[in-house]
Amino acid sequence: MKNLKVKLFLFTISIMCTVTLFAQTSVSGTVLDANGQPIPGATVLESNNQSNGTVTDFDGNFLISVPSDGELNVSFIGFQSQTVEVSGQTNLTISLEESVSALDEVVITGYGSQVKKSDLTGSIASIGSEDFESQPLIRVDQALQARAAGVAVTQTSGAPGAGYKIRIRGANSITGNNNPLYVVDGLVVGNINNINASDISSMEVLKDASATAIYGNRGANGVVLITTKSGSKGKAKIQVDSFFGTSQVVQNIPVMTPAEFAEGVNLRDATPGKPPTIDAARIAELRAGAGVNWQDYFFRTAPFSNIVVSASGGSEDIDYYISANTYKAKATVINQDFNRLNLRANINAQLNDNLKVGINNFVSRSENTGARVNLANGIAWDMNTPPRDENGEYNSIPLVSGVGNGSNMPLLVPENNSVENISDQLITSIYANYNITDNITLNISAGIEKIDFTNSNYQHGITGPNKAVVRDQQALRLQNTNRLTYKNDNPDHAFQADLVHEQQSFEMSFREATASNFFSNSTNFKELSLAGIQNTDSGISNEKLESFLARINYSLYDKYLFTASVRADGSSKFNKDNQWGTFPSGSIAWRISQEDFLKDHPSINSLKARASFGVTGSQAVSPFSTISIPGISAANNYPFTAGVPSIGVAPSTRMANPDLTWETTTQFNIGFDIGLWSSKVLLSVDYYSKKTEDILLNRVLPEFVGPTSITQNAGEVENKGFDISLSTVLYEKDDFSVNSNFNLSANKNKVVKLVDGVDSMVLGNVYYNSTFPVNPTRVEVGQPISTFRGYHFEGVYQTGATDGTPGHAKYRDLNGDNQITSEDIGNIGDGNPDFTWGWNLNFDYKDLNLNMVFEGAQGNEIYNFQRMKMMGLGSAQFHAVHADFLDSWTPDNPSNTIHAGTQAARDANQWLSSQFLEDGSYTSLRSASLTYDLKDVLNDFGIEQLKVFVNAENLFIITDYSGFDPVSTASGNSDVDLGIDFNAFPISRSFSVGFNLTF
Amino acid sequence: MKNTYKIFTLIASVLLVFSCSDLEEDRSGILSLDNLQSDGDLVAALTPVYKQLQVTYQGFRIRTNTFGSDDLTTWWGGNKAPLRVFDGFNYGNGENADINWLDYDWKGFWKLIYHANSLVEGLKTSTAPDASKAVIEGEARCLRAIAYLSLVKVYGNLPVILDGMTPTGDEERATVLENYQHIEADLLFAEANLPAPGATANVGRVSSSVAKTALADLYLTWAGWPVKDTSKNALAATKAKEVIDMGYHSLLPIDQLWLMENANSKESILSAQYSKDEGNTGNQMPAATSFHMARGWSDMYPELQFFKDFPEGARKDASFVTDIPNRGFSGGKIITKTPATIPWAESQRFHPMYAKWTTSEDITVGPRTIGFRPIEVYRYSEVLLIYAEAKAASGSMDASALEALNQVKRRAAGLDPNTPDPSVDVTTATVNDIVTEKGWELAGENKRWFDLIRTETLEDAISRRDPNEQVPLVRQPTKDQYITPLPAEAINTSKLVQNPQGFKVQ
Repeated sequence: MKNLKVKLFLFTISIMCTVTLFAQTSVSGTVLDANGQPIPGATVLESNNQSNGTVTDFDGNFLISVPSDGELNVSFIGFQSQTVEVSGQTNLTISLEESVSALDEVVITGYGSQVKKSDLTGSIASIGSEDFESQPLIRVDQALQARAAGVAVTQTSGAPGAGYKIRIRGANSITGNNNPLYVVDGLVVGNINNINASDISSMEVLKDASATAIYGNRGANGVVLITTKSGSKGKAKIQVDSFFGTSQVVQNIPVMTPAEFAEGVNLRDATPGKPPTIDAARIAELRAGAGVNWQDYFFRTAPFSNIVVSASGGSEDIDYYISANTYKAKATVINQDFNRLNLRANINAQLNDNLKVGINNFVSRSENTGARVNLANGIAWDMNTPPRDENGEYNSIPLVSGVGNGSNMPLLVPENNSVENISDQLITSIYANYNITDNITLNISAGIEKIDFTNSNYQHGITGPNKAVVRDQQALRLQNTNRLTYKNDNPDHAFQADLVHEQQSFEMSFREATASNFFSNSTNFKELSLAGIQNTDSGISNEKLESFLARINYSLYDKYLFTASVRADGSSKFNKDNQWGTFPSGSIAWRISQEDFLKDHPSINSLKARASFGVTGSQAVSPFSTISIPGISAANNYPFTAGVPSIGVAPSTRMANPDLTWETTTQFNIGFDIGLWSSKVLLSVDYYSKKTEDILLNRVLPEFVGPTSITQNAGEVENKGFDISLSTVLYEKDDFSVNSNFNLSANKNKVVKLVDGVDSMVLGNVYYNSTFPVNPTRVEVGQPISTFRGYHFEGVYQTGATDGTPGHAKYRDLNGDNQITSEDIGNIGDGNPDFTWGWNLNFDYKDLNLNMVFEGAQGNEIYNFQRMKMMGLGSAQFHAVHADFLDSWTPDNPSNTIHAGTQAARDANQWLSSQFLEDGSYTSLRSASLTYDLKDVLNDFGIEQLKVFVNAENLFIITDYSGFDPVSTASGNSDVDLGIDFNAFPISRSFSVGFNLTF
Repeated sequence: MKNTYKIFTLIASVLLVFSCSDLEEDRSGILSLDNLQSDGDLVAALTPVYKQLQVTYQGFRIRTNTFGSDDLTTWWGGNKAPLRVFDGFNYGNGENADINWLDYDWKGFWKLIYHANSLVEGLKTSTAPDASKAVIEGEARCLRAIAYLSLVKVYGNLPVILDGMTPTGDEERATVLENYQHIEADLLFAEANLPAPGATANVGRVSSSVAKTALADLYLTWAGWPVKDTSKNALAATKAKEVIDMGYHSLLPIDQLWLMENANSKESILSAQYSKDEGNTGNQMPAATSFHMARGWSDMYPELQFFKDFPEGARKDASFVTDIPNRGFSGGKIITKTPATIPWAESQRFHPMYAKWTTSEDITVGPRTIGFRPIEVYRYSEVLLIYAEAKAASGSMDASALEALNQVKRRAAGLDPNTPDPSVDVTTATVNDIVTEKGWELAGENKRWFDLIRTETLEDAISRRDPNEQVPLVRQPTKDQYITPLPAEAINTSKLVQNPQGFKVQ
């Protein structure tokens, strides 16, 4: 303290000296941003005398005394510094351009902390609104796609409004939840489905343990921090952003002609001495143009539109941002519609010098309507039968029964059944920030998230027995966070400490009503009392979390940076003895470029090395996982007297495990950031190694045990990999500039251990039980989490073969017993990519901007069960429709890839085999936008800015994959059944036009 | 500083006021099964045991592993590959353990056993009246034994999982004999504790005649392949005779037997119940036995040779459909097309269909024919034939045994079963004669296969197979085909050893 006083004294003396030595002039001025908004807090220094300086006030104004021929240097975090010659002027208006150098950006690291990117010690990817504003976006997760290294964002479904799958540095857990934690303005939320992408100010993805450990209990899968926009002081800004366009599926799957289909039916059904299934006369009609390609009926060109209106601004003490957004889209698949509406109001008020309060309010509704056609069965349905007969009545079943597959005519369901899924979400958080002293701040925040789902569907009598199911589900999350921050103001020993106490509760309940035997179809699910049979079901669950966190940031001479934290979490999901988990972390960074030997290096303008280590936890199991819950539902009731069923209470299908506790992930990260040539090239490279132990496994038990599953802490999974991001200014001259942002993520996932004594487990039982008698994937020690199982297809037995029937598929006899048995099922591949990458390329020429986002994955395989089904295989599929069937083996067409089309060859075929495994690598132009900025042209009309743009999504996808696209998948959010294509909702190619208008 | 102190006090009080008082789950919404107090509790815990009987008998799939039998064949097409595997004997050395439907009975019956085990365990601490507990335990153990017997007949020896055990999945297979022994113990307990048939209004619940019939079935099985302890024939006869002597059960006229209104008649000993009040699930037997053209799935129908050999008469008329309904589905309803029927030889599958389930079919619910008549598990005619066969096999054929056989034959001819009639009555009968009669009487009812392997006559029966049968025989069956492969996924998730290596008789 004494030392500081001495310094201050010397500082004052030196200022006095300068005053006496030079002729001074008093210069006043205003510092503004590119939009003309004042910048408070900007530093204004005399260039030749850095000890002479000031900062701008709330209105961006400053007053400084400098030599009249001097220069001023104006700087502010996030903006490019600017040097201005005074040249005798006394009033300057200085406009700062936003910083190209990402190093000065402020990064939000969680729990109120903001750190300059150059001061980061952990691995955090930061995305600001400027990174994605030239791409028309609907969803928040879209904005993350292809933009952050180590963050795999996959669009698993092409349904409008459908969620993306996000994995940060691979999947840690096996059957547990691997979704990242989403924190919106400090509040943990259940999902980000409804949030409007244009409300986002910035997103930070916390990747390594030092960054995530402060979210200890749920940080293991990475954390996505979302900060929504707030107003800035000055003139009110009103903005209208809109775009509209159309979508189509990227490609159809090639099928045979109806006549070829009919010939295939006859070949397969051939019975000696009996007439063919479809007679010659009909085949002639088909050849003349009768018959159906079902994809023509299922897909359509689908319009969509989006409009956002926002207003923001602020006065001395209060700022506000309010917005409204409505998005409407039809899906590329018939009868699927999506609407979303949301409103936001963010308001902050500085009550006095020390107290600031604020509220963030968000409400939204989204609606999915329409019964979806079953693409798997529908595309493979009878091509001989048109949807309607000559009188316009439905052909509900095939003209020749037993052709195609066992389903009804595929249009019956989408055209008659009703589905309405409504999701309402309310997120409100308030905070108060109080500066107790200059160094100590108290922040108290509280939040509520309420999500209600109403899912209603009605099965029309024309498709089968009529039936309505209505389910209401309500969830409420409450959170309170209390944080105390100490921060010193010694630049050589910058020190910050945070103490946090946090508590959360989550309650969920549902009620479900099932009604059948309606005497009329007219009111569908809207009037359940008309049903002859009515059943109800309900459920309730709750969970609580309490946490304590301490965090320290210390920076020595702005060269050596240290961060350490420890968090303790208690979860109600575990029993008393296992409830608490402690999650420590630490990291260190060395800003080598601050050292003397690099300080003035001509090309290296920044260089930082980082290392971190820490432990995070996961409690990603459902409430009540430690106990067994009796089965109470219609599935356990029985009609003893052949009348009204008695209520039954069955023992649990899950075995109790009172010892359940935290799953932990230990992560080590090492990396460096380098900036070259005035930060024209910025490269960040991170290597990480994660080990997840005591994994929360939902293990399948053999049937004779009784309960069919148990949740256990068992096993170990390892994820190792690199995240590389490279941003470069490729060209910058006059009016033309080219910026590139490339990132690459390589993750290697390996199961190190399972339950003791067990080398492999069947865990993804989504398909087992329903579609396949053997699950297509399993989890095996030494392999990635999801390994494809199947027979090794080795071609087709050719004429003259002695070891098999010509035309039949040939499989590898793994155990060499000269028989193909289930023992010969082996590992045939997996759905994990070797690496994924994203590339954002931006061209600016005068008022034109071209923004392109490329994205791709390499080395992942896809189990194409959609093709298997279309080849006439699989349960309940009778005949082939796929164009590949035309290349089936015959004595004259010795195909070695497709077995013969006869019934015998079909019976000898294995569905689970590498015959249906394909390479899923792809490169896509995810988005391309061309924007024209009309800038000042419309000033006279009171319009500050008008931008117009055209955009194309998925303009091309380069891939060898033969399905609709390599991206959409039936696996959804699962990591155990990764890479399965079956009845997936294809992604779309879309074109849109739009504008951004600012008043 | 004073201010700071105030703030800290404020924080402390906020923490105290809002802090979660504890981190325990609120489990008040979860029903506990640990304490069975009242008769109502007992019935609630018993219900899921029966439910599994209903689920497992709901369709033809319980028969998947027995399609090798000469009374069953399937469509040479569609998705019937799993059935063709068994119809054509394409198994026996572990191959095709991974086909669909193979594990249908495996899953259904193990779940029944689990439900029964949990109930029996719960009874040990139950405070319900002792009399009620004994009956409930008898019911649970009776059904558990029937489930076990069904599994052992199909898969051979299995792990012994009974009440009081806490299986982990590491259990290994016992021997067939050991399985028979615990099945017997269950049934003896049930026999002693269950009420007589007709004693309760609950038509679907088991009585002592069910336990005795199942015992007779067990002993007859025990006497044949694979254990071949012929001393058990006499026990089978005794138990069957006890059922006959109860005087409660009787045979219905054959043309009345399969009607909806004659469900749960005195001919029925045990049947799985299906109710329209459960929604429209019903049972799938009418659809399984109907061709697609009749709005079914063409799953199972009689082999041609079996149909040809089947003696003409009232029973043949009641057992088979020879004019196949010609139907469509339009506007949400099953419709009849023109012509209304097509003779079987020209029909879609060139076979007759079974009539036992379509006689009571309901074609007003949805796109496929469906059934709500209870599915028979044990019928009285089976008891009569077990008695006759056990007597013949134990060398003690007598008038009562002949009378039992003749009652079945008379009824089959459309005559009064209790009035002797020289035109149909026989005066001697070999085991083979009786097994053949049983095949006709119980055709399609999931019995024939077990009779063929038990008496080791499968090879003979299949050697007579009609060469016009469409499903090709992969091989002529041998003893290797008597036992089904265990479902592949059960092998993958446990320490069970696949057949034939894991098949241990005693």
